[in-house]
Amino acid sequence: MLKIEGLTKYFGGLAAVSELDMSVNSGDIAGLIGPNGAGKTTVFNLVTGFLRPTKGQVTFEGKDITAKKPHSIADKGMVRTFQSTNIFADFTVLKNIVLACHLKPKIGLWETVFHTRSSQHKEKDILQRSQKILGMVGMEAMADITAGTLAHGHKRLLGIAIALAAEPKLLLLDEPLSGMNAEEVSETMGVINRLWQSGITILLIEHNMRAAMNLCQRIVVLNFGKKIAEGSPEEIKGNNDVIQAYLGAG
Amino acid sequence: MNKKLLIQILSCGVLTVLIFFLPLFFPGLYVTHVLILIVINIILASSLRLINLSGQMSLAHGGMMTIGAYTSTLLVMKLGISSWAAILLAGFSAAIIACLVGFPFVRLKGIYFSMVTIFLAQMVTLTVQQWRSMTGGSSGIYNIPRPDPIVIPGILNITFTSSVNCYYLVLVILLVSLIMLYAIEHSRIGLTFRGIQQSDSLAESVGMNTTGFKVLAFSIGCFFPGLTGGFYSQYIMAINPDTFGFLFAIYILIYMIVGGSGKFIGPILGAFILTMLPEVMRPLKQFQPFFFAGVLMLVIFLMPEGIVGLPRRLKVVAGRLFKEREERA
Amino acid sequence: MSIGALAQSIINGFSSAGIYILVALGLTLVLSIVNIVQLSHGEIYMIGAYSVYYMVVSLGLNFFLALVISTLLIGGLGIILERLCFRPFRGQPDRAMIISIGLILVLQNVVLSIAGGTPRSYSSPFTGVLKILGTSISWERLVILLIGFGLLAILFLFVRMTKTGQAMLAISQDREGAALQGININRISAVAMFLGCGLAAIGGALVGSLFSISPTMGSFALMKGIAVIILGGLGSIPGAVVGGLILGLIDGIMPVLATTYVAGLIGFGAIIIILIFRPQGIWGHE
Repeated sequence: MLKIEGLTKYFGGLAAVSELDMSVNSGDIAGLIGPNGAGKTTVFNLVTGFLRPTKGQVTFEGKDITAKKPHSIADKGMVRTFQSTNIFADFTVLKNIVLACHLKPKIGLWETVFHTRSSQHKEKDILQRSQKILGMVGMEAMADITAGTLAHGHKRLLGIAIALAAEPKLLLLDEPLSGMNAEEVSETMGVINRLWQSGITILLIEHNMRAAMNLCQRIVVLNFGKKIAEGSPEEIKGNNDVIQAYLGAG
Repeated sequence: MNKKLLIQILSCGVLTVLIFFLPLFFPGLYVTHVLILIVINIILASSLRLINLSGQMSLAHGGMMTIGAYTSTLLVMKLGISSWAAILLAGFSAAIIACLVGFPFVRLKGIYFSMVTIFLAQMVTLTVQQWRSMTGGSSGIYNIPRPDPIVIPGILNITFTSSVNCYYLVLVILLVSLIMLYAIEHSRIGLTFRGIQQSDSLAESVGMNTTGFKVLAFSIGCFFPGLTGGFYSQYIMAINPDTFGFLFAIYILIYMIVGGSGKFIGPILGAFILTMLPEVMRPLKQFQPFFFAGVLMLVIFLMPEGIVGLPRRLKVVAGRLFKEREERA
Repeated sequence: MSIGALAQSIINGFSSAGIYILVALGLTLVLSIVNIVQLSHGEIYMIGAYSVYYMVVSLGLNFFLALVISTLLIGGLGIILERLCFRPFRGQPDRAMIISIGLILVLQNVVLSIAGGTPRSYSSPFTGVLKILGTSISWERLVILLIGFGLLAILFLFVRMTKTGQAMLAISQDREGAALQGININRISAVAMFLGCGLAAIGGALVGSLFSISPTMGSFALMKGIAVIILGGLGSIPGAVVGGLILGLIDGIMPVLATTYVAGLIGFGAIIIILIFRPQGIWGHE
């Protein structure tokens, strides 16, 4: 589904990502791990159009999406979440999702300004869909809370829900469990698992090793911008290069 | 129909009647002129707010007025186009120019965007000053005709030689503008603007073309000063490149900030109060800029939400006072 | 066109560039270090012109003495403004910009009330022409050029060789990193404001000595400063120099080769092109 070839990004003289080749197949749940500064979020940024690659090619469902704008990549079905909490803080939780349903269904500019019958219809559908999405992440009860006042863990969940609103085929989760306590972690892992079961392909970056190993079928390990290992969780656990990378990073 | 809605509709009705008959209560050329200025400033401050919704602070409104004024004047006086079409085209010309420069401009964040809008307005002034063959340069253009009469044979014959009729005309423009601005703000477009203002990157990630929407906000927002510039040139019957300069754009921004950029009615209040106050304070006119600056500083330091935030602030203060009384008792 | 006219226009171009650079550099210093668009920068420039005017005309001071005293005083004013008006809004550049708008009104109208609106001028301290290579070049312009670029050189050395200068450079390139390194943002912001306002004041005084002064002369400086920064690079100190040079030379030479209008048009065009293809300016960072 997603093919990354020779992906490279230089910041000045420093290579943040170097000749990365990897792929994610439809129906996978894959993980991207590595010590701090390994370049994982940079890969996400490059792949989803937030950063322009110095070299390399990104293909999604057979179409070349290298250096395309993030909103058109989202339109094609690949949506990412953010490492630092990113939500529409002044809106209620429900409104966050309602807004995020921007892509589907598409409401025309004229339609919405004139409040035409068809746009009202679509907005009703969006409302229903939004409530369903909140249900999927277990936040229905919080629909009317202002997003900025949420607890950290719920903000992270909201970030996932927002991404879901765009109906992704491939969901890129950037450290979805960061800053969560044990209870929140298992809750969110459950959510991620359910999403995968419902047919969404998932690629996630995670620092929490246990969670990554538990959730993912395949793991790619990055260090200093280069891929150093790839395989099933068991293979990765025993891989010397990986262990060295994490020990070395201290 | 519940009571609250009824009260709202009634008060709107009373307000409308009052506004309509104001020139009768306060006759006189000068008062009518001030009323027209108030209405113009309301349109300008409200349209500035639309751009602000998307998180951008534009200081180009003066330049857009100039574009509108000159477009309308040149269309009427050199091409003989009807004044009504000219006013409309004046609005569109400003919007189109905003759209064209908008694409490179909106890529700049925050204060940098504001800087390039200042620069844009300056460029408009310079172009008008230099393009003497078309615009008459710094001396400007005189003897601009008032809007064409509206004639429906046998029924209607409205001429605009009187200022009062110009006032009614600009009221109609105000009504239409406010309705448009309100509708856009409360549509999904307005929602998208506000989302982009809160988080650009998040909006992009779920498929919103943030660049496109920001340009849209800027273009639509600049349509109204263009329109108003067209009207004003026909009302005042003379224009020059310095009428709507940097200071003019600053004042519009002040109206919006002091009134409060958070609510639709904020710029309306700000423009109304701050246009009226200097007139009421006429003997102290030389202190007007100090007064404005003072009010601005006061608002920014103590009451950033502007006048519209006053009720909430008073409630908080009152609540605290009562709580102290309770605790003492 | 004669060699003389060309030479004079080149000198004019460089002296204009000098002024533009002084103004733009002041604006950029404040922009990149204090992190605000100091829109009343033009009024500071204007106050510089008036201050020197009064000292020379009413107090009979020597021009250079007046220049130095004015610069120090106005730099001090800058420090006070930073402390009172801008520091409370660190991290909120939009609000700070609005405060600077309020300052425009205050500063311009204080001067208006005290000095009145009619433009004034005084005889330049540098009269006469320098005869070189068979052509005459006015001393006025030459001195402005020398002072302008001389200050630039001093500033350059200051930034390169003093700890404060290095700290300023660090903050302009990476605020958070600089703070983490233990750089005192408060102190360096004050220094930046002092320098920024001082440079504007010098620019205004020099132009005031050459032309005339009026309470509204500030907006020209602000517009030029903004144009230079947009061209040369938002938040970039070398960019201000490059941008100032380009625009100054265009403004100096074009009117002789073509017309003033073409000069403005080329400047405008250059900036629009930069904005389309490289919105952060020639030297700027995103």
